[in-house]
Amino acid sequence: MLLLQLLINGLQLGAIYALTAVGFALIFGSTKVFHVAHGAAFTLAGYLFWWSINAQEWHWAVGLALAVAVVVAFGLFMERFIYRPIQRHEGAFFTVFVAAFGMQVIVQNLVGMVFGRGFETVTVSLSRAAEIAPGLFVAPIAGIAIVVAIVFFIGLNLFLLHTHVGTGLRALADNPDLVRVFGLEPTRLAQVAFGLGSALVVPAAALTAMSQGINPGIGAHIMLISLAATIVGGIGSLKGAAYGGFLLGLAESLAVWKLDPQWSEAVTFVILFVFIIFRPAGFLGRAQGAK
Amino acid sequence: MLAYLNNLAVLISINAILAVTLNFVLGYAGIFSLAHAVFFGVGAYTSALVAMKLGGGFLLSTAAAMAASALISLALALPALRVRGEYFVAASLGLQMLALTVFSEWKVVTGGIGGISNIPPARFPGFEISSPAQYLVLALGCLALVMLVVALLVRSSFGRSLKAIRDDETAASAFGKNVAVIKTIAVAVSSALAAVAGSLYAFYLSFVNVESFTLDTSVYLMAMVIIGGTATLVGPVVGAVLILLLPAALSYLPGLPQTEVGSIQQIVYGLAMVLLMIFRPGGLWGFRDQSRGDR
Amino acid sequence: MKIKRLLVSVAAASAFAALPATGQDIRIGANLPMSGPNAEYGELFSSAAAIAIEHANADKMLSKKLVMVIEDSQATPQQGVVAMNKLVSVEKVPYVLSAFTGVSKAIAPVGDKAKVVSVNGGGIGPDLAELGDYFWNVIPLVNLEVQALTPYLVKERGLKKFALLYVDDPAGEAIKKELDIHVPKNGGTMVSSQQVPRASQQFAGIAAKVREAQPDVVFIASFGTQQAQIVKQLRDNGVKQQLVGYSAFSSPTITKLPEAKGALFPSQDVNWDGDAISKRLARDWKAKKNKEPNAYVANYYNAVMVFVKLAQALEKSGHPITGENLLRQRKAVGTFDMVGGKMRFLPNGTVSMPLAIYEIDGGAGKLVKGNLIVE
Repeated sequence: MLLLQLLINGLQLGAIYALTAVGFALIFGSTKVFHVAHGAAFTLAGYLFWWSINAQEWHWAVGLALAVAVVVAFGLFMERFIYRPIQRHEGAFFTVFVAAFGMQVIVQNLVGMVFGRGFETVTVSLSRAAEIAPGLFVAPIAGIAIVVAIVFFIGLNLFLLHTHVGTGLRALADNPDLVRVFGLEPTRLAQVAFGLGSALVVPAAALTAMSQGINPGIGAHIMLISLAATIVGGIGSLKGAAYGGFLLGLAESLAVWKLDPQWSEAVTFVILFVFIIFRPAGFLGRAQGAK
Repeated sequence: MLAYLNNLAVLISINAILAVTLNFVLGYAGIFSLAHAVFFGVGAYTSALVAMKLGGGFLLSTAAAMAASALISLALALPALRVRGEYFVAASLGLQMLALTVFSEWKVVTGGIGGISNIPPARFPGFEISSPAQYLVLALGCLALVMLVVALLVRSSFGRSLKAIRDDETAASAFGKNVAVIKTIAVAVSSALAAVAGSLYAFYLSFVNVESFTLDTSVYLMAMVIIGGTATLVGPVVGAVLILLLPAALSYLPGLPQTEVGSIQQIVYGLAMVLLMIFRPGGLWGFRDQSRGDR
Repeated sequence: MKIKRLLVSVAAASAFAALPATGQDIRIGANLPMSGPNAEYGELFSSAAAIAIEHANADKMLSKKLVMVIEDSQATPQQGVVAMNKLVSVEKVPYVLSAFTGVSKAIAPVGDKAKVVSVNGGGIGPDLAELGDYFWNVIPLVNLEVQALTPYLVKERGLKKFALLYVDDPAGEAIKKELDIHVPKNGGTMVSSQQVPRASQQFAGIAAKVREAQPDVVFIASFGTQQAQIVKQLRDNGVKQQLVGYSAFSSPTITKLPEAKGALFPSQDVNWDGDAISKRLARDWKAKKNKEPNAYVANYYNAVMVFVKLAQALEKSGHPITGENLLRQRKAVGTFDMVGGKMRFLPNGTVSMPLAIYEIDGGAGKLVKGNLIVE
């Protein structure tokens, strides 16, 4: 029973990692920008959701809408005012990464200054587990997390396959120059990628606020694991990022079965390390070894 | 006042060693490591243990520290050999987080979060380093030595090979450079020299614990290199000075709410990183045209 | 150009150092985490100390005005040492309020060498007792807390099977060690012990293992935001047993957490209505912060008041207020009347004070059993 319990917990956790990882992978895959400030978007979304519900006592839909609006604006801002100028004159990976990192540090501290540095939760009955079988406690939020993740992934997939813009995004991932030939605007598509990718953190952040709780450092923490998920799943593959997210969530949760809890976080990074050394392409990525 | 400045100067020297050695792999070799604090830590712990358990003086302890760091650096060199760019960053992040867990949980060796206290003062055959002023001389001496070693390496054919690899790996290997070996050596050298800083730190504070070797520290070191300027010898030192003086300078500003100083400090160097990357990627001390090539 | 920029920044920093130490006031220092993840504690401690300073000045307890200089330790050893050095050699204070074990261990040698007193009012790890003559603790350390709590839980509440979740730092380990001794001694058993890393945020799996062990009571030895997460996730994941913590449970993050209702914890026995000093502190605290004070507030208030009382005595006898004299005076006096009762200094610089067990009720906490004195 313990094993099943840990499995379900792992899926709930994995859903959060998967959503964040897919958002990141979408941005990176389409625009080749290593947007580690994605974690900052997560933090913003989480805090705005929490603030709307706890401080302002608005309806949760309003909280979500506000989070989406701000996070999308943040993504667009990063693309237009930070990444594009950098890419215009130099665009080395290093430069982009450092700028994104700097932004993440700024946002984390601003959030701490404005909202406080403690840990906050959105208290909802959804996070209370009910005993659905002897020794098996599942909270509604677990089911919600998994369903939401699946719904978003299916939706994203349909969008990428069947819409004009979606096809454009996929084209951008493959060959940015060719995109122009076909009359599409890479910059416009990049904005869509950033907006859409950033929006994906909102459900993940809201779920985290309701279950684990958030603090200003939460975005950086989740980003670290989502980055690992993207690599394990395969850079360049959205499906891979999703699988990677679920895999790491499961690994972190199941680690407690046999190991002492103090080692469970190490498990995530051991997995990452093993993949990087033996299979850098990840599960589903295109082989991209040393140039 | 003098004691305060002395203290700052020692810490600046220690951090400058770390920044210079990080720059060696980051600026000259293009290897993007976010795990430099790990080697700082390995150096500090090893040195402390050798001094306490084996009665080692400064030279023996530091040599042991350098060896240990170089050994551990192979864990970083392995991924460096096969992948680059984004993968490598993730690998170094992974190593940093793993090291964090090991530093915190392997209590027999590291003392866990309680750390190792009562580290004896640095000893040389014949005399002991006991006063802060003496530590300053020691630290500056080590910094000078490290910079000398790095300067020599950079100007040697090894250094030229490194830069060639940084600029275009495929071309470098087409020219017959053994990319894997060169990268491994670069990482090992950088880590070994970083261990010197660790050794100094352990003897100076006479206390080490994991809290000095976290991801925050690695980011802090990266900020020093970037803000000061990569691919120059003096740039990282400038970066170290600025970043270490920043909290000190902020603490003198009147009217700054006490509770926000740490956050403001972080915002300042986050902002510096962002603005520099947009307008002056070479860093404050760097040169305008950093021909680094597109990746 | 760059060199100029460098020199300017160094000059700027040093120029401020030219500020003379005014002979107009008496200064003490505070080396607290004013930013970073533990800033809530820094804010709490410094606010409490500030009220003590206000009271001391209002009552004209010293010949000159008392002023506190706060430096941000950022809760890291390196920054703590820089801050301590500034307080010691620039501000030249004889007495510094400190917090957090890691920082304290790094700054203790600095204070020791300079003969400046450092005082801890928040950390409870046993290694805080071994930092030298110039490091004092005004909070009873954790071994005393566990010794006070365990008999009550086993004998009076009938909770025999203990599950422990402890953080991997010296305080957590000390609690485990104490429980391993005292639980069996009082007739109980430790059925489960799980160690958690400080940065961990996920406890669903741990909760499952706790359920598996079927304890009567779950002891949580963590602190800060993590302990609140543990409590919440334990409750969310079906752990219905009695929850117990140590004095860190008096932090507002826990006391206002709905899932923590009913949890028990030991802390100093502070009767906020008991005497004039406590009443005054409680009143001023409530007025400033709009919440009830807790033991930490008392401790940092007391930390300042210990200085004031010692300094008063020194002024009366005509001795200068230096760290060395403060130490000597403390050893001579030994016991002080403080918020929370009689504070008795033990030779190793720790204190024994009356302890009490509280129950979390959404407010300040309900006193369940008081006046427990442990040596």
